Amino acid sequence: MAIAQLSSPRSGTSVQGKTPAAQRGPRRYEHVLLGLLGLGAVFGGWQLFTSLGIVDPTFASSPIGLFGALVDYIRSGAIWAPLSSTLSTVAWGIGISLVVGIPLGLIIGRSRILHGLTEPLISIMYSVPYVVFLPIIIFWFGIDQQARIVIVIWSSIFPLLINVVAGSRNLDLSYLHVAQVYCASRFLTLRAVALPATSPYILAGVRQAVGRGLVGAIVAELFMGSAGMGYLVQKQTSNFQMDEAMAAIAVIAVVAITLTRAVAYFERRFTSWSTST
Amino acid sequence: MNTNHSKLVVENLCLGHRSRLNGKFTTACEDLSFDVQEGEFVAIVGPSGCGKTTFLSAVAGLMPVASGRLELDGHQLSGPGRDRSLVFQHASLFPWRNVFGNVSFPLQAQKRLDEKGKKRIQQLLELVGLGENGDTYPRELSGGMMQRVNLARALVTDPELLLLDEPFAALDAQTREVMQSELTRIWQADEVSAGKTAVFITHDVPEAVFLADRVIVFSRGPAHLIESVPVDLARPRTREMKRSPEFLAITDHILDLVMQQSDEMRSASHGHSATVVA
Repeated sequence: MAIAQLSSPRSGTSVQGKTPAAQRGPRRYEHVLLGLLGLGAVFGGWQLFTSLGIVDPTFASSPIGLFGALVDYIRSGAIWAPLSSTLSTVAWGIGISLVVGIPLGLIIGRSRILHGLTEPLISIMYSVPYVVFLPIIIFWFGIDQQARIVIVIWSSIFPLLINVVAGSRNLDLSYLHVAQVYCASRFLTLRAVALPATSPYILAGVRQAVGRGLVGAIVAELFMGSAGMGYLVQKQTSNFQMDEAMAAIAVIAVVAITLTRAVAYFERRFTSWSTST
Repeated sequence: MNTNHSKLVVENLCLGHRSRLNGKFTTACEDLSFDVQEGEFVAIVGPSGCGKTTFLSAVAGLMPVASGRLELDGHQLSGPGRDRSLVFQHASLFPWRNVFGNVSFPLQAQKRLDEKGKKRIQQLLELVGLGENGDTYPRELSGGMMQRVNLARALVTDPELLLLDEPFAALDAQTREVMQSELTRIWQADEVSAGKTAVFITHDVPEAVFLADRVIVFSRGPAHLIESVPVDLARPRTREMKRSPEFLAITDHILDLVMQQSDEMRSASHGHSATVVA
């Protein structure tokens, strides 16, 4: 069950790790150019339809309106409070997930009994959409930032655990024998052998955890927020301020892409040895 | 037995695994006795599955001794020690470390990775023919090169006893020939480790005769000593020596012993009546 849910670290790193190398030179610029062209077409069409009056900008906003709202947000500084609220929710949630999830996963993976006990539970918690727990979490923790952090942890820790447990279980015994034969201390074995050996799995888990954690934070803010980017989108839409709502979504998109790219960078940087050349 | 000059003493040694499932004890070595002299290169051969690798694991300290004596320099072995190094069957290099990093691991583990240690690493890399490859990662190395790194990693701690667990078994025939010559060269050349005591496990009898001062023949499992065959061939040994009548005579004699054990094993597994053949 866990195997099917595991995002293979090897294919994950090779897909994300090899593309830039394969597209060095003119091909790479072509790729970027085509991407920009695609985006431009969509925005251009959107602008055209609203300018011609085919769709009502009161409902659909428009790229120009979006951009204007974005500039206003930045100029007035109104964006920073909700943005930093969301970012701190994500940072706390993911941070706690990593600090708890990585060692816990390593320990569960090394123990046959612990793995047997926790495997079904982790699989179930991973498979059930975490959104259904939202009402219960609100009931337990209220609607403050504390509760939003709980949602981020809830949404991110299970994909992380599944990957780290798999990595820990697949740890090659011969690596541990090398450490043993040369009398490495327990700490050195953990730091210099077990950790790097499982790092492709850990980073694949982190990639999933960050993606799901961000979604968790935004969903939490949409439903129970009094702050944050999700709450901002919700509020502006309710007030029919579609330009502002769209501008907030654009900011969320930038955050999401930055986070995903950062994790991908770390994956490439630290697990390049696991991809065969 | 002359234990005064013996490096490694094995006496009435009994080794085995206890099954995790039913607690049954499977014996790998039973009443095993022999010793290895200081500076001697000993090869152990025997039918596959006889317990050679289990024996070596016990000497390396990866496996507990059930009963009997297993002494290095007069001290009973229990657990791994800095005085022993193991050349692993599958190189077991850390893929996240480059060649230099892999060879430095034992020194790092033993907190000896100082300037002198780093110089020694470079010296050994040059000795095994990888002086220029310190920055290379294992995935870029061939099987033979990996085993060279494996050997350098074992020698870097300057061990009292070098253990080699079928290090060339997975190599192709040509590379294996080259590595055999290389190992004799390295074993004689390294001024720090020159004439080190070494125990080499293999199932390849000509390889054992070519490398060793003495070949120990194990019985079918559970292993005990069948015969200890001295190899009085001059060093340095060359590839041509493998065609000499002395070499072939020793090889044939050992092959006969091993085959006899293999036949016994086969007939034993076929039922009681067949054991009469042996």
